[in-house]
Amino acid sequence: MIKIKFPKLKTLDNVKLHLDALVVGAKEAIKPGTITIEYPRERRLLPDSFRGYVLFSPENCISCFQCSFVCPANAIGMKLAANNRYYPTIDYTKCIFCHFCVDSCPGAALRPTKVHDVVYKNMNEMITSTEEMVKPPKIVREDGYTVEYVIDGVKLILRRIKEKDNLIPEFKPHEKVKEYSACVMPESCLACGICVSSCPSEAINLSVKEKEKELKIDKERCTGCGICVKECPVQILSLVRE
Amino acid sequence: MVDLGLLGLTMQHFIDNMVSIPLIQPLIDYLLGIPVIGFVVAIILWRPMFALLIFPGLATLMTVLLFIIWFERKLTARIQWRRGPLEVLRWAEGIIQALADGLRYFFQEVIVHRDAHRPYFLQFPILIFIPVLLPLLFIPVGNIVGIRTPYALPITVAIVSLIPVFIVAIGWASNSRFAYIGTVREAFMYFAYEIPFILAVVSMILVYGTADMVTIVEKQSIPGIILNPIAALVFFISTVMATSRLPFEIPEADQEIAFGPFVEYSGIMFGLVMTIAYEKMYILSLLMSVLFLGGGNGPTIPLLGDLSAVIWMFIKTMVVMVALSFLRSIYARIRLDQALRISWTAMLQISLLAVAIGVVLNLANVV
Amino acid sequence: MTEKELLLDVPVQPPTELFLPIPKKFLEEAYQGDDYLVLVGPQHPGSGHMRIIVRIKGDIIVEAIPDPGYVHRSIEKLAENRLYIQNIPLLERPAIMDTGNLTLGYVRAIESALDIEIPERAKYIRTVLAELSRIGTHLYDAGILAVFMGHTTGFMWPFALREPIVEAITRMSGARITASFVIPGGIRRDVPWNVLEFIRKTTFVIERRLKSFEKIFIRNPTVIARLKGVGVLSKEDAIKFGVVGPFLRASGVEYDVRKVEPYEAYEMLNWDIPVSDDGDSYSRFLVRVEEIAQSISIIRQAVNELRAMPEGNVISEDILADYSNASSDIRGYFFKVFGNLILPQGEYTALTEASRGTLLYSIISDGESNVPYRVRAVTPGWYYLKGFMEALRGERVADLQAIYGSFGYFPPEADR
Repeated sequence: MIKIKFPKLKTLDNVKLHLDALVVGAKEAIKPGTITIEYPRERRLLPDSFRGYVLFSPENCISCFQCSFVCPANAIGMKLAANNRYYPTIDYTKCIFCHFCVDSCPGAALRPTKVHDVVYKNMNEMITSTEEMVKPPKIVREDGYTVEYVIDGVKLILRRIKEKDNLIPEFKPHEKVKEYSACVMPESCLACGICVSSCPSEAINLSVKEKEKELKIDKERCTGCGICVKECPVQILSLVRE
Repeated sequence: MVDLGLLGLTMQHFIDNMVSIPLIQPLIDYLLGIPVIGFVVAIILWRPMFALLIFPGLATLMTVLLFIIWFERKLTARIQWRRGPLEVLRWAEGIIQALADGLRYFFQEVIVHRDAHRPYFLQFPILIFIPVLLPLLFIPVGNIVGIRTPYALPITVAIVSLIPVFIVAIGWASNSRFAYIGTVREAFMYFAYEIPFILAVVSMILVYGTADMVTIVEKQSIPGIILNPIAALVFFISTVMATSRLPFEIPEADQEIAFGPFVEYSGIMFGLVMTIAYEKMYILSLLMSVLFLGGGNGPTIPLLGDLSAVIWMFIKTMVVMVALSFLRSIYARIRLDQALRISWTAMLQISLLAVAIGVVLNLANVV
Repeated sequence: MTEKELLLDVPVQPPTELFLPIPKKFLEEAYQGDDYLVLVGPQHPGSGHMRIIVRIKGDIIVEAIPDPGYVHRSIEKLAENRLYIQNIPLLERPAIMDTGNLTLGYVRAIESALDIEIPERAKYIRTVLAELSRIGTHLYDAGILAVFMGHTTGFMWPFALREPIVEAITRMSGARITASFVIPGGIRRDVPWNVLEFIRKTTFVIERRLKSFEKIFIRNPTVIARLKGVGVLSKEDAIKFGVVGPFLRASGVEYDVRKVEPYEAYEMLNWDIPVSDDGDSYSRFLVRVEEIAQSISIIRQAVNELRAMPEGNVISEDILADYSNASSDIRGYFFKVFGNLILPQGEYTALTEASRGTLLYSIISDGESNVPYRVRAVTPGWYYLKGFMEALRGERVADLQAIYGSFGYFPPEADR
């Protein structure tokens, strides 16, 4: 237990306290510890892990809907694209930049950027379509300097570098584990065909010959998105590894 | 030569009592030769008129207002690890920020709310310039003085004391509860600083044995602040209270009563009432430099002639004003009852001590 | 001059009666006597929207009735409709800067339900984040206290000092204030050593600059004059009215959840509880200043411990199950791991020492759905509101701001 010590308040102590305050003020006036970053003209160096605007690469997307499921703000919608697959769109009126979607994406199709200052003219523009998410947003860069907080001993220094910060940092995709869907109890299959119609990559093939049903899942085509697992009414599908 | 025979004034009358500036004397001589312009130049450079219009009068007052508002913001920002006003005239660190604000105020709508006493509400911010500008006539700079009288100091103090009355009137005309509380606080603060303030001035009158400011400045071979430092301290603290600066920013307390008496003003009227405190600060700083810092005394620069006193006086006044601005970033606002307690106990005691020192110095005939 | 009143055709009728959440009798009593009723707020009188109905006699406050709820966002109800994991960004939103502690409480309740042990490294990193949040919140409150008293430097400096902390949190988690970094079973990703080193250095900067701050604000005679002996809560009163956190400790009660029921790495670190006996506004402020010093010491010790530990493995194997390759970074497996989190049936409670005091989370699960049946969140602001109102009694009206600031009362946090 630490007992708090109170300052003494006799007349002389009071004068000393007044002087202390004035001297500190004068010192700061002569040599200020300014920490202002003049934002549009210079930009703070943000860490590569900064949670900003989300970019999307469709070639990695397996249409698994996980980003949309995990979004706490319900900002991600899935839109049907021309190739009959569902791709995410982000509504930036709702997005809270928690990046749960980025952390959920199993194919590393979503990637974070350091862009945090996009201007929209109206609310409708803020619902970003998939095509817009593929390339970085248009922003006005007025910055000539990049400012970094550097600590030298007990001093906080604002190091100004005369170059523009790259707002799209390099992205290291995580180690992927190859999973694919498999039917664990073929005898229970109803042959309803829901999995076939739900599969975004057309990997499931169902053949019914009189009483024999055969569910074929193409391992090459299956991306392991797990939609068929969710959809199966008798829950006989499951994600398995090699 | 233009003859104003009707008034019994000739141009020679002004030329006889003109500010002498050797540096630009040829230019003045040339201008005096031109018929109408010569007359105007003669009047402007006539010492009383120079005091009224140039220094310490209107022109300097306006410049100081524009400068000190910017400077205060800049100094506060520097102490607070910020940059302060910057975007207006960026290469000069935003020095014309106050002018830009003034322009904005000028083009803003002046709203007179329904409950206000309309005539007084609009009159007082303008009428308040009378007690603000009148003292400038009596403050001497070297041999430049508007009106020289043996009662200059009492008159100045009396006129300065009128300013709170106008502020109270402004608060009354505003007829709003914040303005009302602010007005009451202003009245209380007036009681708080008035007596120590007058006692400090009285002690200095005793020290110099005269109330004529020109004589006071002449007598200060040793500055008054060394002769009677306690009076200087009391005067300084009273100035802080009178201009309602931190830690005595009680009548205007924007976190508590949102600028108190001035809460209902908008547009250019707000611009006018906002500058009152700064104008008062300017006058009291001039008074302080006359009483305690030796006024226009200082090494004479031969080329500038009478202007050298002007420059010394200006520097001293600015030092006092900067010191007053500096306090804003150091102190918190204290409570009204605490301010009253300080002024009626400690301040009153040391101001009486200052008077005692004044009496002793007067009897010893030091100055 | 004739004045014309313009009538606008607005379909909304303004209310004809002033609604006050107090009995009519009280109003009439106050008006019939010499007392005044002063309404402080609800237009953002301090750190958030709330109203205090103050009954004053002359300049002295006779009674203060709070009218909270202007920033109520029904966080508890919202939490019932979200996945367990989706509640993390929601529950860190009540208070600015307190992200570390607010999420930690909720996550610990989930962990107690699932009965999982989290890796040592995660424990220490969580402790660092919690203490960074604590310093940030205390600085924030000091700034609010300063601006209440018109001390602008005292307002700007803590906010500037908060900036290195915000920078540290950004480098850790990627977001300035809403870190969402603590997840059941650990933290989202491992913190590299250079960031930890930056955090350790930050503490030195804060310590150095706090020394200047101490001279200009904490020990400033005008500040002492405003705070000393104002709004006194005695030890008995503080216990009776259920005051929590630093404000309870300022009244002389040595109680800190971090000591009483240690969690995370607090048991392993060497620190102490600052206590004061006066119970006035100034001691409430000084206790928090001393807590900043303690937090700095905790962070330094924790970072030193972390340096000796192997990197990686910050998420518990128990919760990762098949996806153990994500133990140092959850990226790619977040939904797979937490999307179908279902707690066993029962009620799970966790007490946490948030910056402003005790924080209670209670989760009730029905055992089969992936959303909580009920989440009870009691934030410290709500606990000490009564004590705050009692401290106002008998003080001057001008002291209301000083007492408000000394409690660091934060309406969004109390209203949730």
